[in-house]
Formats: sequence, C-alpha cells, structure tokens
Amino acid sequence: MTHFASLLICVGAFAALAMATERAQQDVLERTLSRDATRALRIIGWALLLASLAIVVGAQGWGLGLVSYSGHTSVAAGLVFLGLIARQRRKG
Amino acid sequence: MSAPDHSPHATPDAASGTGARVPPAPRGLRQTMSDLHIWTGLLLGWFLFAMFLTGTVSYFKEELSQWMRPEIAHQADQPEAAVVAGRIAKTLETVAPGTTQWSLRLPDERHPIANAFWRVPPKDGAKRAFKDANFDPQTGLKVAARETPGGEFFYRFHFQFHYMPVAWGRWLAGLAAMFMLVAIVSGVITHKKIFTDFFTFRWGKGQRSWLDAHNALSVFGLPFHLMITYTGLVTLMTLYMPWPEMAGIESPAMKRQLTSEMNAFLQPAKPSGEAAPLASIEAMVREAERRWGPGSVARVTAANPGDAAARVAIARGEGGRLSMSPQYLLFDGVSGRVVEEKQGVGAAAETRGVMYGLHLGRFGDGATRWLYFLVSLAGTAMVGTGLVMWTVKRRQKLADPERPHLGFRIVERLNIAAIAGLPLAMAAMLWANRLLPLDLARRGEWEIHVVFIVWALALAHGVLRPPRRAWIELFALGAAALALLPVLNALTTDRPLWRSLAQGDWAFAGVELVGLAFAALLAGLARRVARHRLKGARPGRARAIGTPARPAADTAAAVEGAR
Amino acid sequence: MNVTVSPTPSARRVGASSAGGLARLRAVLPLISRIVAAVGGGYALAALASVAVLVLPVSRIQAVIGGMLSSFAVYAAAVVWVFAVRSATRAWIGLLVAALPLLPLAWSVWHGAAPAVSP
Repeated sequence: MTHFASLLICVGAFAALAMATERAQQDVLERTLSRDATRALRIIGWALLLASLAIVVGAQGWGLGLVSYSGHTSVAAGLVFLGLIARQRRKG
Repeated sequence: MSAPDHSPHATPDAASGTGARVPPAPRGLRQTMSDLHIWTGLLLGWFLFAMFLTGTVSYFKEELSQWMRPEIAHQADQPEAAVVAGRIAKTLETVAPGTTQWSLRLPDERHPIANAFWRVPPKDGAKRAFKDANFDPQTGLKVAARETPGGEFFYRFHFQFHYMPVAWGRWLAGLAAMFMLVAIVSGVITHKKIFTDFFTFRWGKGQRSWLDAHNALSVFGLPFHLMITYTGLVTLMTLYMPWPEMAGIESPAMKRQLTSEMNAFLQPAKPSGEAAPLASIEAMVREAERRWGPGSVARVTAANPGDAAARVAIARGEGGRLSMSPQYLLFDGVSGRVVEEKQGVGAAAETRGVMYGLHLGRFGDGATRWLYFLVSLAGTAMVGTGLVMWTVKRRQKLADPERPHLGFRIVERLNIAAIAGLPLAMAAMLWANRLLPLDLARRGEWEIHVVFIVWALALAHGVLRPPRRAWIELFALGAAALALLPVLNALTTDRPLWRSLAQGDWAFAGVELVGLAFAALLAGLARRVARHRLKGARPGRARAIGTPARPAADTAAAVEGAR
Repeated sequence: MNVTVSPTPSARRVGASSAGGLARLRAVLPLISRIVAAVGGGYALAALASVAVLVLPVSRIQAVIGGMLSSFAVYAAAVVWVFAVRSATRAWIGLLVAALPLLPLAWSVWHGAAPAVSP
C-alpha cells in the first residue's frame, strides 16, 4: 500500500514538474502558462516529491525507504515521460 | 578551417586538402568525455549487456529455480525453521557421515526447499571437494528433482561468466564494471544539463530518437546504475584490490578478524578425534530466533559434527535488513551453549555490508524486488540502445553504405548476437530444462551447454543473414520460444499454468506469465524492425526472461520514441 | 583525444607509405599513452591510495576495508582526468603529482609500520 501511494504521488510530482516546462505546455495545452502558474507547478511538483519520500521513509525507515524511493522516482519519471511521448504520437 | 562542430558525436574532419597540415582544433571537455563515453561503452558493451540481462533475471532466480524443478511440489506453507534444521541435521548424519563440515541453507518462501553442502575427501590433488543435495523441509529427506542449475546459472554467469576459470571470469566482469563506471561518469559530464533538459527530449525521428531513448533510460535509472555498478565492484573488491589487505594484515589472527567482518565463515578447527553426539540443532536455531526474531535464521554451519570439538554457527538471513554484514551465533557443538556472538561490524565493514546488500537486493519485499527488476531492465535497455545507436550514427558516416568497414560490421553483428540472440539462448535453457532426458548424464551441465549452443547459432545466424532479417528472425524466434513455454510445460509436466494459478502458486505461474509478456515484447520489436526501412533506426533492445514482470512500459516506449 | 583514423593529406602528399605510417603512428601515440596512463596508471594510483589510507588513525581492519571500498572511485576519477586534460603529458604529470604524497605513506605501511590503533 505504501509503495502504491508513494509511486502514485511521484507520478503526480513528475507530471507537475513536466508541465512546468515550456515544451510540455506547448504539447499538452498548446499554449504557455503564466510565470506564476509555472512556478506553482514547480513548487507543487517538488512538494509532492518530498511527500512521497516522507511516506515511504515513515513506513520503512531511512535505509529501506531511500532505496524504495529511488525505485519509485525512477519508475514514476519513466511513466510520465512515456505519457508525454504517447500523447505526442497520438496528436501527430 | 571548418568551424567547430557542436553536435556531441562528431568526429573532427581530416584537414582540408590544401596541402597544409593543419592540426585539428582542440576539443572541449564535453566532446572528449563524449568520445570516452562511446569507447568505454562500446568496447565491452556486449559483455555489459549480458551482465545486465542475466543480472536482471537473477532478481527472480529463486522463482526460476522453482519452475525448473517441477518435481518439487508447491509448498503452501513451511514448517518451522528450527524443526526443519533439526530434521535435516539428522539426515546429514547418514548422508554425510564423518564429514568435517556441512552447511545447510534453510528454506524460505522464495526458496521452499533446503539445500546443504558438505566436505568430502578431495581426489586428484584438488584442495577441497564438496557434495551437495536438496532436502524436503517436511521430511528432512533428500529430494529427487531433475538435475538442473536452475536460476543460479544466470546469477553466476552474471559475475563470472562460463567456460573459463572463475577468477578470469570475475576479472573480466570487474573490467567491464570499471568501463561502465567510467561510461556513467563521462556520460554525466557530457550531458551536464540532462536534468534540466529532462522533459524536453526531442522525440523526433531517426538518429535523434535513439539518442533520446538512450538518454532517457540513462537518466531515469542514473541513481540505480551508478549504485549497481559501484556496489558490483565492491562485492568482489578483495579480488580486485587485495593491496590493503596484503600491506596491512600482519597475522593470521588479524586475517581471521578481517574475514569475520565480511563473512559468516566457520573455520573448522582440528578434530579432537573423540566422538560426541551433536547437540540439538533445533534448540540452537530457536535460541537464535529468540534473539533476532522468527524466520530470521538463514544458514546453519557445523564444523566437526559428531566430534568433541564440534562447533555450530547459526547465521542471520538478509531479509528485512539492508546490510549483509555477518551476524551469527557460535555454539559449542556438544554442549549447545553460545560461545561467541557476532552482533555487528565496524563502520567500514557495515558500509561494505550495505553496499553488498544494495547490489543483491535481497532485503526487500516483493514490491521492492519488482522495482529492482524494472529499473535493472531499463538499464539493460540503456546498454542495448547505446550499442545500436553506435551503428545508427556510424551508418550515416559510412563512405559506402553498401560496404561498411570491418569495425562497423563487427559491431553490427555482435549487436544482433547479444541483443536478439541472448534472450533466445536464455529461453532455450528453459526449453532444455523440460526436454532433456531426466537420466541424461551431467544433465545440469547440458542445460547450460544448450544456452551457449543456441547463442553461437544465433551469432552465426546474425553473421550469415542480412542484418535486418537477422534481427527480425531472432526476435521472432525468441518470442515464439517464450510464447510456447506454457504449452511445453503443460505437455511435459503435471503443473500446467491454469493449475498453478488456481493453487496460487505465483512463482511457478509467474515464470510463464512473464515469459508471455516478454514474448509480446520481442514480437513487438520484430514487427517494428520489419516495418522500418533499412535507412531508418533499427530498434534493438533487451529484456529478461521468464519471471513475473510488468516489463517494458518504459522500455517499449523507448522503442516507440525511437520512431 | 585528437585522433583521426583516416589517413592525413600529408601522407598522400608525401606519397611514401613509411612516412605516412610514421605520421599516423605519431598521431596515435598520445592516445596510446593516455590509455596506458588511464588503465595502468589509474589502477596503480588507486592501489596506492588504498594502501596509503592505512596510515589513518583508525582501526586497521576498518581502514583495510575502507581502502578497498574507495579505490574504485579513485580509479574512475583518474581515468576521467587522464582523458579530460589537454595532453597526454599533462595526464601523466597529474597522476604523478597525485601519487607523490601517497608514495611515502604507502611505503611506511607496506614495510610494517605497526597499526596506529588496535585492529
């Protein structure tokens, strides 16, 4: 359960961080967001990353938690990246 | 004099033919690091691919071993560890009479049978000799199962290869690991901005896509790849860097102390010659579990059992703790009293224990193991995409694409043999496991021979056929081999897939289910190659065999992105 | 790494294969020198450092383990250094400069200086 929650939150985090980049905004929303919106997305993204870390460390301790966390971030980043690619291919 | 070329993999032009010999412009750091990255990645890339693929599979080697010993029924629950240990110790009195040392590995939920090895008198001038056998935890008696190395083959191949002395294999693996380490560092330096550029990869077409796929896979897994490479070197560090020990360890006593910081090894002392019955092993295991918790005991080792000088070491397992540093209880073998307790190790030794534990990943729960598997698979794909990318880039620079130079041809064919051939060869082992006659002499070795025979045939296929056809055919063969595995299993054993699922035997079913998933992956790759024209990118990739996986979300997409 | 493998125009101009071969050899020499420095020199430096570490006032056994643990980082850093600097000569000089302070330390350890702290 912890794994799943942590992974899900990481996906949200990376999605937010991705949407904070101009390129992704163009691809997904077809416009660029305002500077405030971009900054908000970046803050949300990092905050979610921290929250995910807290969850997994709280459940597993620092040693095992850090290891699980690095796995979650890797997989989550991969999923978001794939999502962006899939979206791009569907468009064009 | 041409302007400096900023694309990361340009080679400097030969000086223009004006007759003046102009030295090439000095290359920047990113350029030299890029060159270093390419060379260290390429020279041993095929070994690294094989190490990554077999290493990935090894995270589920126990499940593979279960699948490869179908005679051993699915154990729904395990008897108590202490009872099992007592039973098997009793059996060993008759199976291994008079031995000076035996070591027993207790079963756990991933490895439901017990395994023991014991010393026998060596022959032919060998220094030591051992025999080993598997034991049923319910009865304590020897189990009859087909002779097979099981998943252990992939695990051992991963760090010492095969058909060569163990030391050579480990040195080669270590060399490859150093190349990998340098490739990682130079790769990071070359792409300093990779983290900021993370989500703005250009998923365009052709050559650029390969670079992006390789980059993406490298970045996602960067912490893992760096960790796994460095910790891999650490696992064999006493081989690769014996100098501190040679310089600093001044007495056998110090050497024993050093060893005890890294291994729970019981040194057999000289037997007294006076017989005495071995104290209750069951009681010793219970004592250990009292201190460490139930299910924590992994291994029981007895030195001089049946002698008055007998000693028994009960060692703690790796589950649930990150460090693999030894923790053990040493008992007097006759009185059953605790003689010594190794509770912890020093700081550097604990660091080494943690690094060892991180590499083997045995500490984790199922989900963590799956994470390891997925990210390791991505690492395999990283190496594979790198190798293929080399040919894709070079192909454009060929003076005559119809007649590439020898270096190019070698790389291209080796890529086929490694990336498309190895998965097929690994699947072939599973087929051999089911098809080789059970009474074949040295059957276990023959299962391994099959792997290399098929691999050699794949290489030959890759050399003789046009490259594009070879890719397609080998991927397709691999896909077929894995897709038909459940059928083969149903025909040759009484544990078809549907029954394993009904029984909740996830290890057994998982091997076949994951095999099916990878069959789909390989088939997808074959299809992609078939759809591409020769000029375009040629997707080449990697996967593991036969174990529960939700594989290639990331890897398939890397290939998708390479369109 | 300023090496091209294709023959230089000077080789064609001169026309004598031996002179061209010599020029090619001279172009490749710095690369070979760097490779030797990286593979051999790097390992030597790492080994040296792993032994020199033993003079630290810590438990001898922990120092031995620590020396081994860190040696691969030294090796990798040395290899990257060798290829990052501007010439093969600089690469060798850099390795020697790093080795120089370590040599006497390693020497003292190797020739039996007793451990500063009990093992």
